[in-house]
Amino acid sequence: MTTATVAAAPAVRTEKAPGISPRGWIGFLFVAPNLLGVVAFTLIPLISVVLLAFTDWNLVSGFGGISFAGLDNFVAIAKDPGFWNAAGLTMVYVGVSVPLTVVLGLALGIALNRPLPGRAILRAIFFLPYIVNTVAIGMTWLMLMNPRAGLVNQVLGVFGIEPGWFASSHWALPALIVMAVWGGVGYCSLIYLSALQDAPKQLYEAADIDGAGLWAKFRTITWPSLLPTTIFLLVTLIIGASQGFGLIALITAGGPGDSTTTISYYMYQTGFQFYRFGYASAIGLVTFAGVLVLTLLTWRAQRGRALND
Amino acid sequence: MTSKAAKWYWGIPLWILALAFLAPFAWMLSTALKADVEAYKIPMQWIPDPFQWDNFKTVLVGESSVLPAFGRSVFVAVLRVAGELLTATMAGYAFARMSFKGRDKLFLVYLATAIIPVQLLLVPRFIYFQKLGLYDTLWALILPGMFTVLGTFLMRQFFVSQPAEFAEAARMDGANEWQIFRRIYLPLATPVISALGILAFVWSWNDYETPLVLISSPENYTLPLGLTDFVDEQGSIAPGLTMAASVVSIVPVLLVFVLLQRRFIAAMTHTGIK
Amino acid sequence: MRNEVSRRGFLAGMAAVGAAAVVPGCSSGGGATSNVLQVWGGVPAASGPQKVVDAFQRKFPQYQVNYTRFVNDDRGNLKLDTALQGGVDIDVYFTYTQANLALRAGSGLAADLTDRVAADPDLKVFLDTDQPRAFLDAGRIKALATAREPYFVLFNEKLRERAGVELPHEWTIEQFRATARKLTTARTYGCYTIPDVARIKLGPNYWYDGDRSNFGDPHFEQAFRLGREMIADRSAFPWREVLARHLDAYQQNSFLTEEFHLWSTAPFNLRYLYDAKKYPHDFKVSFAPPPTVDGGDWNGGSYNNFVMVNPKSPKADAAWEFVKFWLTEGSGPMLAGGKLPTLGNVTDDQVVTGVLGKEPDKYFDVDSFRRVVLGADPKLSTDTRLAGFPEINLAYRQQRDLCWLGEKDPGPAIRDVRRLADAAIARTERSS
Repeated sequence: MTTATVAAAPAVRTEKAPGISPRGWIGFLFVAPNLLGVVAFTLIPLISVVLLAFTDWNLVSGFGGISFAGLDNFVAIAKDPGFWNAAGLTMVYVGVSVPLTVVLGLALGIALNRPLPGRAILRAIFFLPYIVNTVAIGMTWLMLMNPRAGLVNQVLGVFGIEPGWFASSHWALPALIVMAVWGGVGYCSLIYLSALQDAPKQLYEAADIDGAGLWAKFRTITWPSLLPTTIFLLVTLIIGASQGFGLIALITAGGPGDSTTTISYYMYQTGFQFYRFGYASAIGLVTFAGVLVLTLLTWRAQRGRALND
Repeated sequence: MTSKAAKWYWGIPLWILALAFLAPFAWMLSTALKADVEAYKIPMQWIPDPFQWDNFKTVLVGESSVLPAFGRSVFVAVLRVAGELLTATMAGYAFARMSFKGRDKLFLVYLATAIIPVQLLLVPRFIYFQKLGLYDTLWALILPGMFTVLGTFLMRQFFVSQPAEFAEAARMDGANEWQIFRRIYLPLATPVISALGILAFVWSWNDYETPLVLISSPENYTLPLGLTDFVDEQGSIAPGLTMAASVVSIVPVLLVFVLLQRRFIAAMTHTGIK
Repeated sequence: MRNEVSRRGFLAGMAAVGAAAVVPGCSSGGGATSNVLQVWGGVPAASGPQKVVDAFQRKFPQYQVNYTRFVNDDRGNLKLDTALQGGVDIDVYFTYTQANLALRAGSGLAADLTDRVAADPDLKVFLDTDQPRAFLDAGRIKALATAREPYFVLFNEKLRERAGVELPHEWTIEQFRATARKLTTARTYGCYTIPDVARIKLGPNYWYDGDRSNFGDPHFEQAFRLGREMIADRSAFPWREVLARHLDAYQQNSFLTEEFHLWSTAPFNLRYLYDAKKYPHDFKVSFAPPPTVDGGDWNGGSYNNFVMVNPKSPKADAAWEFVKFWLTEGSGPMLAGGKLPTLGNVTDDQVVTGVLGKEPDKYFDVDSFRRVVLGADPKLSTDTRLAGFPEINLAYRQQRDLCWLGEKDPGPAIRDVRRLADAAIARTERSS
């Protein structure tokens, strides 16, 4: 019976909203302020990034120093072991940190939505990591993850594990993943919390009458109604994780060796340290293509899911 | 299980986890009260000895006080948040609930612009903003922050899960499109708007790269740039002062969070899942 | 109630959009017409530059100078580069790394100072090309070093006497190693790290050999091996700790708390050693020259902190006046930050009190300072070949870290440096 009730869950059939507005141009009016702003302040400078990817440019030589390179940069990328190393590391970094953050964020969001002792304070505590500036975060985790005397290894030492964290080429990436999860869980739970306020109450009541269990209610009501939010979180976290380089620049500078040189940090090195802006832009464009594919896959998952349910 | 017992049944593990989350902040606070030479000492020293209250004094009223930068950061953040809330709710609503030609395709293109790595945008933006006469003004930070793709994306994902029937009913009653948005859908979005407000504030507050390239005069420094006053010419960061300034910089964001997140509760009469 | 926040938000947003539309018009007033000399440097104004500026303005009341500080890291330099390239009003600026120097000078961001230098007898020393103090691009002077930065090895006098070790007046790298071992105790490592062995033997441009890299030279592998062995027998600081605590930037703390003994460093770190309030300690510090390697006696230090004039500056004469002032009579205040002037235009006593603080005898063995830093004329090695420099620098650091962490043997590590460096040189030379 429960499933029959749930088939009416709003999230499920809304993706392909039928034409509800009689006059199409009004929609454009609503979009216009944001769209024009994005075009004016982001899209226009962005076009030059695309163009630069086909050039050789070191920035300091100015516009006169730009020379057209055709597809040279892309050919070089294909043969660049540094790029492929970075691509592999980024896939691990994104592939582990993003799902972990979303799952934990969801659990936390649901938990924080219940009546709890000191709930408002708890919510603030879990969101705190997202607020703090990169420099303070970096300095703090460097100490906490000191292999010899840091708090993390003091705790882990009880179980006989003492990773080298930032001073080991095997543990530095996992350390960054731990930090990413710590920093992102609060962000996810905040957004999940806001989405949960919109939970379809009548459906829960109906399910209660049907005597549905916690898990059944989660699977059939909560989860479908959170799907658009989850898509948002996945996409933004993938973008964030593939672009982030501030913490890496601050803590490991891509090392030890090149063990934390992710794509975004590699791009940073190429552009800001080696002054190869054309090449850095080309790397950016290739990364863009990769992330776009991931985004579209996530996007399609939403559509497929919505239609099938 | 009684609801009281359930409260603690969930509460205790969450508080234990919360304490683990707080450990780094305890360390930040401790470092903020230490002399520089103590900060990186091994073994970790959690209680500063002696307490270096001077760090906060230096940061707040010293020669390189962060307060002016603090004020500018508030100004920038408030305008960015206001602009973002206004434009993103409207655009997000339209992308979700109104129909116009090529709507979904346009949205995907839109989303794609958010994927281009921000760091690559720095130099082109510098050149472009200089031509616009915005270089070294706070508007170089405010304007791009008022119109963001991610905010629109968040709002769209919210409105997409709202039923269309409300609009149809209102239209029957002769309401126009603006009224439908303003009177019916927008009030439903209060929790998400609060969340976006908090996020937009944080994004603005901690933005380092954009002002780094687009601002040059110390009179226009925002907080993250102000922190560079505590970095010496060798590039080493004065830990005590930097942490003290960071602790100070958390306060307004926490305030915004506490104020806005009450909206979640206000919007909630029923406790969702039991 | 519920709608209030959004209504207020909307109104504020409207106001913001309105204001934004107006503002660009008003902000375009400031520009290149200003009469103020704009100087950009990496040293915080309070650590010397402001005093130089003040003195300059006292001497030349007709000029006004505004000093802007940029953080001397990758992103800070990017900021300077974009500003220079974008025509922001900058007349004089400083460059601290060799790679940036080559890039800026080679890209038309530095005015040709050759004739001005040649016309001034005070500045004759900048024409010397044996130990260059100026940066030359195609034979023309584009930048002048403001600071002389010789390296030396510091001893902790208290621990040295306790261990019964003589303060060396000259020594070899083998003696350095033996000394470090003798100074190693249960709670103090013998040294922080080893001096740059290959640099001491090979001197300037030591990374380059013709159109290839020079990492086939055995002294590079020797350095990797020596460091690793000393870390293993505890006579050098464990590299794991160095990375985990970012000691590169905070060596002074560990030296002052006696975590290690021998400290191979340069004058800019001396300012931590006489600050009783922020860096209290109970021992004196003495100076030894860097050890020699197989008879090679190059000092690892260099001339640097280069000052340059923006060729787009409409105030070229004023800019030059300022540059000259900084190099000559104005250099005094920079001593406090450990910047020894390139020109010997300050007396030894000025240097002692400038660099070692108000009570030099309390914190330093001043005789050894005079002997090592003032008396000797160390052979400074300033690089002039810079092809692929940042890439090579990165490769070298990466492999050194892996080697000294014990993850990779010295041989394979240095071979990887060589491979990466050859590639970087080939690519740079091809494209230029």
